[in-house]
Amino acid sequence: MNKKVILRFFLSAFIVLGSLYFLQRLLVPKYASGIVEGAMIAEYYQEEKNHDVIFIGDCEVYENFSPQVLWDDFGINSYIRGSAEQLIWQSYYILEDTLRYEKPKAVVFNIQSMQFDKPQKEAYNRMTLDGMEWSWSKVKSIKASMTDKEKYLDYVFPILRYHSRWNELSKDDINYMFKKPKVSHNGYYMRVDVKPAGNIPDPKPLGDYHFGKNAYRYLDDIVELCDANDIQLVLVKAPSLYPFWYDEWEEQIVEYAKEKKLPYINFLKLTEEIGIDYNTDTYDGGLHMNLSGAEKLSRYMGAYLINETNVSDRRGDAKLSKSWEEKRRLYEMDAQKQYESINEGEY
Amino acid sequence: MKKKLVILMLFLFISGCSKDNGKTAASVEVYESESSKEQNTKQEIESKEEKEADYKGYAFVYDDVVIEINAPAAPVLEKLGEANSYFEAPSCAFDGIDKIYTYNSFELDTYPLDGEDFVSSVLFKDDTVATMEGICIGDSAEKLAEAYGETSTEEDGKTVYCKDGIKLCFIIEDGCISSIEYKTTILDE
Repeated sequence: MNKKVILRFFLSAFIVLGSLYFLQRLLVPKYASGIVEGAMIAEYYQEEKNHDVIFIGDCEVYENFSPQVLWDDFGINSYIRGSAEQLIWQSYYILEDTLRYEKPKAVVFNIQSMQFDKPQKEAYNRMTLDGMEWSWSKVKSIKASMTDKEKYLDYVFPILRYHSRWNELSKDDINYMFKKPKVSHNGYYMRVDVKPAGNIPDPKPLGDYHFGKNAYRYLDDIVELCDANDIQLVLVKAPSLYPFWYDEWEEQIVEYAKEKKLPYINFLKLTEEIGIDYNTDTYDGGLHMNLSGAEKLSRYMGAYLINETNVSDRRGDAKLSKSWEEKRRLYEMDAQKQYESINEGEY
Repeated sequence: MKKKLVILMLFLFISGCSKDNGKTAASVEVYESESSKEQNTKQEIESKEEKEADYKGYAFVYDDVVIEINAPAAPVLEKLGEANSYFEAPSCAFDGIDKIYTYNSFELDTYPLDGEDFVSSVLFKDDTVATMEGICIGDSAEKLAEAYGETSTEEDGKTVYCKDGIKLCFIIEDGCISSIEYKTTILDE
């Protein structure tokens, strides 16, 4: 009799928990089409993790650098762990999370996020944090990122946050409940369309141009984490014309890099040398590079990494070469598909 | 002699009258002008009060166009006419585009919500425009405090007055206002 009661109890618990798990899988956003950027962080875990270079940062890394070009032209095996409006503490914890799986020779960090000293928006937080696998890094990242209105439990049980999505469910939510399609090329978000830059508004005056203490603290943490793991850290500023990169910010980063003896590349100052043409190399009026711009930038970055760090050409590695061949096929297919869509007037 | 005396008196009378008349006419003009000024000011105040009653928080009036933060942008943009320049800033990873319209003396930004654009901010670009409370770029911090009181907060180096979810932000440098911006707080959430 007792055995039957216990069995019933466990069976009921299994059914309830199973249903909740199933519902949660159904209700959480899939980011499989449209806003695909929310799927990028999770995509990394499917990769074979023996990268030489890891990029961390916001859209200025995942839209401006092409790991495919870094491989094709330099034999650099790289991955971009970028996400939309990735805040600096999120970059730190993503790096910490990455080091659980692999130890790259170089880390490239885009310093645009230094402008933020406190949590910003839940929607962006979700796109970075939900995709992370559970670890102390994720727990700490959630706690550092939550806005006043967010609750930690909503991250642990996303169904609490997304239960109201039931009336927004689409085919994607059913098709990709358990397996999602790849949305990036080693973290790179490809866009081939062109929208020339123009009419960039004057920068808005700020009340305080100093980077915040919290931002500096996490930049220090990134530096220390790289030092402790014998990783070469390279600070970069992508050549995005907007949002504006203030001279006062530039001075602080130059000073910081000098003090910490770190390389810092501001690509905004190198556009001519790289050959970036803002009439043809951006898809959104100068905010991000399109495929053409990202490939130019990656060639410059690749040459820098090969010449100035201990990252080496791994094209001799047959297994890796084969894996990149397949990646190239998908990369070219994606580009082709987008060009066709443009010709059909879909952009 | 009598004739001459009569003519002289008549002349003095006429010239005196004309002088008086002139003076009176001028006074009337001044009075009328002062009275119409007063009336205009009264009307302006009344119209401002009416406008004030119509909006929440702080609003900016330019050429009789009331620009309310968080209000639908389309009717405002139509009234303002063509902007000097226009820039689109797609939000990273979100549908919709933030739009920036630059006019002679101010910049107007919009944000998208459910397929419609709403005014997110107005930034003054020079001292030819003023807030409804009469504050413009170049005014002193004392004048600002007189106009808005001491209820401000300090945010990122800005003096901020917040009313009904709308922020009116001032940057003060060397005792003078160097920047004025109306901002929504909706995007902060």
